[in-house]
Amino acid sequence: MTVGQSIVFVATLLAGCGRADRIVVGSKNFSESDLLGEIVAQQIERRTGLPVERRFHLGGTFVCHHAITSGQIDLYVEYTGTAYTAVLKFPPAHDADSVRRAVTAEYARRFGLTWGKPFGFNNTFAITVRRRDATRYGLTRIADLARVASRWKAGFGYEFLERADGFRGLADAYGLRFSAPPTAMDLGLTYRALAEGKVDVIAGNSTDGQIEALDLVVLEDDRHYFPPYEAAPVIRQAVLDAHPEVGTALALLAGRITDAEMRRLNALADVEHKDIAGIARDWLQAPRP
Amino acid sequence: MSLLAFYARNAQEVLGLVAQHLYLVAVSTLLAFALGIPLGIVLTRRPAWQRPVLGLANVFQTVPSLALFGFLIPLPFIGGIGASTAIVALVLYALLPIVRNTYTGIAGVDPAVREAGRGMGMTDWQLLTQVELPLGFGVILAGVRVATVVSVGTATIAAAIGAGGLGVYIFRGVAVVDDTLILAGALPAALMALAADGLLGLAERRLAWRGK
Repeated sequence: MTVGQSIVFVATLLAGCGRADRIVVGSKNFSESDLLGEIVAQQIERRTGLPVERRFHLGGTFVCHHAITSGQIDLYVEYTGTAYTAVLKFPPAHDADSVRRAVTAEYARRFGLTWGKPFGFNNTFAITVRRRDATRYGLTRIADLARVASRWKAGFGYEFLERADGFRGLADAYGLRFSAPPTAMDLGLTYRALAEGKVDVIAGNSTDGQIEALDLVVLEDDRHYFPPYEAAPVIRQAVLDAHPEVGTALALLAGRITDAEMRRLNALADVEHKDIAGIARDWLQAPRP
Repeated sequence: MSLLAFYARNAQEVLGLVAQHLYLVAVSTLLAFALGIPLGIVLTRRPAWQRPVLGLANVFQTVPSLALFGFLIPLPFIGGIGASTAIVALVLYALLPIVRNTYTGIAGVDPAVREAGRGMGMTDWQLLTQVELPLGFGVILAGVRVATVVSVGTATIAAAIGAGGLGVYIFRGVAVVDDTLILAGALPAALMALAADGLLGLAERRLAWRGK
């Protein structure tokens, strides 16, 4: 048994779950994933009347992927770029359409999983600096960073440092040389470290609510280095076969959330600490053009 | 890729991380002993402090490490990012078993023995060093043992604040969906914890035997 399977196995034992005819929705361990999981869960409840069980805040891509391939959860929201490089281990690609086509085909073939239509936003890596520094040194694009990098300190999460589409490729693409090797730390702590001046540049996510709350600025990826990270529901084909109405309910969410809208929803959760279920309910009930 | 092949290819890095891990554990547990044992002794002299101090040590145990790091980052001297912050957190986590067992070990000394010491004209210092500490030693060492073993495991969280250690492999492995990487960090940490427990257990038995 792999470590991931063991974790899922133990989690299942702890939950003492017996699966009846209900849809189990998972999410990863950050607010956006919880929010999208909750939106999907409520959408299924409202449109199909099927009971939904929530298994939220699972430990990242790794745990969610093991959970869905072993049938412990039926669907969760994944990002195309993450599936492409972290799960399928393909070299980084930059074209959104081809990445989406590749993950759709490979997930169906290898795992019996179906990709729904994307929600509409792109949560890619966001090279982020303090607004004060951006104004002072005239930084708007990542290319501008090369001028100051030799005097600056970077702090990055493990995923960004480790992934093929993360720091190493970025440093090559933009010729970035920092004063010291980047400090490896927890992603959530990098925002705090940046705001407190302990590091000067971090790699956040473009839809994070913290960006505006902490008065930070995202530098434009002018050389289009970062792959697309479109969020979409991933669901077991067996569940879609048994309940085609679930697929219909999910399709109604396609293209409904822009980058700015996702940032707003994340800020409600992370900055204003509103209840996830409440945010999702309000969003689903809001009138739409 | 198998674990052995991974170690063979990254021997240098593995040894570096093991050394970092040992450093974090050694510094933080020694600091925790230096703070916790005197604190436990003070509590036996000032019973009124017992509840607030042990209560506070209990609270530190329950604060999740990432939250604790979040609070520590803005602090001058002890905060920021890197080894010092990780060590502060590890010391706070290690304090409870040491303080509690020091207090319990001394408080558990038979009052008749203590009275006999006083009757012989011992000062408080003599009473402490010649009667209470030797008699309470087994319980105190048990606390030290728990604190050390727990620290070896807890030190993996140092990787979240840029302080390195074996947690680096665990965090990287979780980030990129790689079982081998996770095991590469978890296995040596587990072995280290077992070794620390075994050595301190041996010391405990030796000293207990000599005590008789």
